[in-house]
Amino acid sequence: MTENTATCADPYFIDFPKRIHDLQAEMANQGIDVYLGSRLRTLSWTLDAFCPWRSFVVIPREGLPTAFTFVIDAARVADESWLDADHVLGYAPMGGQDQITAISDFIGQYLYNGQGMVGIESGMSSYLPEGNLTHYEYERFAEALPQARLINAHDIIDRLSLIKDPGTINRFREASRIVDVGHRAVYEAIQDGKYRGMTETEIAGLAAYAMRKAGSEWEWSFTGGNEIASGYRTGLAGGACTPATRRQLKPGEPLMVDIHAMFKLGLGDHSHNYLLGPATPRQRWHADNFVALVNQCLKTYKAGTSPSKLADEMMLFCEDGGFAEYMVPGFEHGIGMMGDEWRIGLNDGPFPYWTNPDHVYQPGEMLICAIQYACPEENIGFRYENPILITADGCEAMSKFPLAIEEI
Amino acid sequence: MERFRYLSQEWIEEAAKRLRAELTPEKMKHVTSSMLTVYKSCPDGQERALYYKFTDGVIAELSIREGELPEAEFRIIGDYETFAKISRAELGSRAALMSGKLILKGNMVKALSLASVVDRLNKVLATIPTEY
Repeated sequence: MTENTATCADPYFIDFPKRIHDLQAEMANQGIDVYLGSRLRTLSWTLDAFCPWRSFVVIPREGLPTAFTFVIDAARVADESWLDADHVLGYAPMGGQDQITAISDFIGQYLYNGQGMVGIESGMSSYLPEGNLTHYEYERFAEALPQARLINAHDIIDRLSLIKDPGTINRFREASRIVDVGHRAVYEAIQDGKYRGMTETEIAGLAAYAMRKAGSEWEWSFTGGNEIASGYRTGLAGGACTPATRRQLKPGEPLMVDIHAMFKLGLGDHSHNYLLGPATPRQRWHADNFVALVNQCLKTYKAGTSPSKLADEMMLFCEDGGFAEYMVPGFEHGIGMMGDEWRIGLNDGPFPYWTNPDHVYQPGEMLICAIQYACPEENIGFRYENPILITADGCEAMSKFPLAIEEI
Repeated sequence: MERFRYLSQEWIEEAAKRLRAELTPEKMKHVTSSMLTVYKSCPDGQERALYYKFTDGVIAELSIREGELPEAEFRIIGDYETFAKISRAELGSRAALMSGKLILKGNMVKALSLASVVDRLNKVLATIPTEY
């Protein structure tokens, strides 16, 4: 029996029927009869359930959506979703039940004599689990719905999901609180030289255990869950992806702890850095540069700025401090409910499906403030990540773990 | 031994009698549902269907239908010969579905939970001395 009993009084309540209604209104404006969603972000945003298997959501112009997922997971998705079991169907390799047949038959009932417009989700992404319709799926659906016109319509969801509602924001706040629990557990485990003999994977695991105990559903990032880097791995040139390895932590090296928690599809993502003592003055210089930059960046984020404007300001700050050559000149990545990662805002930039550098932030948008500092020749680097909520005159950093680079 | 022509009125009556006698509501998991098995390419070239209606595990209706078919929660579609092979135990119903010889329409998650009931039902039908 489902335990998904959220009500309006619940701080994590999201009005999913309203989301669907808003989407349907936009479909009507664009003459779309049926929306066929396949991206992970769309599934999270419409179903309120995590869909790890290839899944689809069919949204008619009126009425409830119906999800299709691999049959082995359909009952669980129905249990967690706001939709009932009649609106979460399974597909499997059986006559009439394979995903193309089941979904095209289902869509067919909403088309007049098989004719109409079906919105699909196509594109590309640097994020592997994005979930755009594959070429093969597109061709098969087009074949199964020969009188229908399939058009790319993901912009509708992208636009509607841009400004976050209070329930979503609170889910991110809670996920970030859980991440802070993980960071405290890591700090307690490594302080006073207790890190000796530990490996990166062990740090990842003990953070995961603490976060799970605090209610995290999983270490959601596709980059290996909790990303832990030590020594030279912290300073890989331009690097911002460090799945934990079996490398042992060593004195005199930096340690990067980038951990992830999920709470009701809201995502926590905070990276904290250490110097495993004894630290040299040069290492301390790098660390101080980084902390100053993060502070400056968090002070600069607000509605009205844009990724390029902010990057220009930050790079000027780095130049003044004499450490610009160690910076990756980007200070953000997108974030939304599970599956919505990497690209900021809409697909309206000079490079399709990448962040528009001139996207102007509005109050209510969320992103990850992401800063990567790397000095490969000195085997040192640092990473900052924290979900932030853009406000009219600033931003709210969701993780509250004190910003510092402690010498352990 | 008396033999019944497959899908004839006599066969239907015998099937209903045996199903009611052998499948208790408990064995039928107290299911309330409906199912149509649609036989394409019958020996006379026609298409017909067997309609099952279950109420709380009791077979409330078993009838042969032609022409416009009634609504049913599940619809299983296949050639007459495929169903005949299943009844003669020459082909498993699951294998027929997995190979696409049978097509299932309806909520598969619910269908899976009723698979054992359908297996029991098929076993009883297979005991009817039948002429295909």
